[in-house]
Amino acid sequence: MDALELCYLSAGELSQLIGRKEVSPVEVIDAHLARIDATEPALNSFITLLPEHARAAARRAESQLQNGDYRGPLHGIPVGLKDLFNTAGVRTTSGSRLFDTYIPPRDCTVAARFQQAGAILLGKLNMHQFAYGPTGENFDYGHMHNPWNPERITGGSSGGSGSAAAAGQCTITMGSDTGGSVRIPAALCGIVGLKPTYGLVSRAGLTPLSWCLDHPGPMVRTVEDAALTMQVIAGYDAQDPASADIALPDYTAALTGSVQGIRIGVPNEYFDAPLDGEVSQSVRAAIALLEQMGAAVTEVSLPMFPDSQAISGTILMAEAAAYHRELLAKDGDKLDPAVRLRLEAGLFVSAADYLKAQQARARFNREMAAVFQDVDLLAGPAEPITAPPILATEVDIDGQRVGTTAALTQYTRPYNISGSPAISLPCGFSQEGMPIGLQLAGKPFAETTVLQAAYAYEQATDWHNRRPPI
Amino acid sequence: MPEENPLTREAFDYLAQAAGLDLADPHLDELYPYVRNALAGMERLAQIDVAGMEPDAAFRPAQPFQE
Repeated sequence: MDALELCYLSAGELSQLIGRKEVSPVEVIDAHLARIDATEPALNSFITLLPEHARAAARRAESQLQNGDYRGPLHGIPVGLKDLFNTAGVRTTSGSRLFDTYIPPRDCTVAARFQQAGAILLGKLNMHQFAYGPTGENFDYGHMHNPWNPERITGGSSGGSGSAAAAGQCTITMGSDTGGSVRIPAALCGIVGLKPTYGLVSRAGLTPLSWCLDHPGPMVRTVEDAALTMQVIAGYDAQDPASADIALPDYTAALTGSVQGIRIGVPNEYFDAPLDGEVSQSVRAAIALLEQMGAAVTEVSLPMFPDSQAISGTILMAEAAAYHRELLAKDGDKLDPAVRLRLEAGLFVSAADYLKAQQARARFNREMAAVFQDVDLLAGPAEPITAPPILATEVDIDGQRVGTTAALTQYTRPYNISGSPAISLPCGFSQEGMPIGLQLAGKPFAETTVLQAAYAYEQATDWHNRRPPI
Repeated sequence: MPEENPLTREAFDYLAQAAGLDLADPHLDELYPYVRNALAGMERLAQIDVAGMEPDAAFRPAQPFQE
């Protein structure tokens, strides 16, 4: 098979070929390393690339297969991790030169679970510094570039994860999502990004941004790959104090292709917010298709939706400042100036304001739970815009000037507040050829419903089959 | 906060010092308007009725949804 074709196969497809020994893990890794060589100068997805490590792991994976030691569907599959997932013996920078030589002594839980499943680490992916920004700009390691147009942002903070998956550099990537950092780059790069329920995927061994808002999640090209990844990385971890000790479902069993009977609510507030006309049209068309396919679609109301920025922003500012306080005092002048300002501003959030935000969060979640009494999913745009130019601090949304950060996090923050699962998947392209994302969110721990509806929509459309021109 | 009860430079300097920032650092001239703006973004919190709500300060993982 052509090497480029190997790079665009899903994990589900690759695992079939590897399982039947029609393709070897060594071939798969070589194809991906060649793809990285060809595209990395334009994309800058990686902070650390591990070609020798990956080739050695591929040879081991092949040997295991020959000895009948098959580890499952991720055996021999190339994986990239955002560079805040600790990896034993491999530097983990969190996107800052201050940690350029930091080599963690042990793997984070997610990395260990990938390794146990036979997946192969290709490298550590570029990111917004300390995950504190939604654009994917990084002055220490260079900005990330969108494969659909390298002059545009990838979105962030998991920008390298978005570009690497979209451009066929990795089959599976991982991001972390505090205010949208998995779903924003997924939407802007035209891939699938799942933010699982808070506590379902371990945060142990990840550099925190906000303890109570951080969610690690998969970034892949198909919904099936999100389900396959969840099967490996989800589950209780005693190392994470917030880890949920629950029985796990079979995530792939949810991929029936049907949405018959699923109740989908569309918050009318989503369409009152600043929203690009092309994005609105694509998202409405996607929801209409889900209805045609058998979902029961109704309009619902989330009156506190406009409060989500203030609630999430206050909590995030205070917690990020608390975590990075010593670093700020010691090396503040060595940080990305914009990240430094965000972190320092958190020092001015009073305890009373932080707790007021947490009270408001409780009320917000009560409202969200009430809406979920009547529907199974909430649907809307993942992003109000397509990817803007790199370093744009404001964007134009149908004649309205909006700050880039506020715009990019507008639809994602509500589900960090609620901790409920939310996915972004491709639902169209703008006239300029930039991807548009549909967001589906479910009840806590109802990943199966989210994946079921996302898969059914994906199978009924061909957006996920398009490839960026790079 | 900023419009109705603006953070004065004097108050900002006091808080900055309490937070351990170096008042002699010219960077504070850039930080001051940024903080004013950030606190303005939090103003909306004051309008939210949180009577009877306990803060989710120790956020517990949600439980499987039951209707």
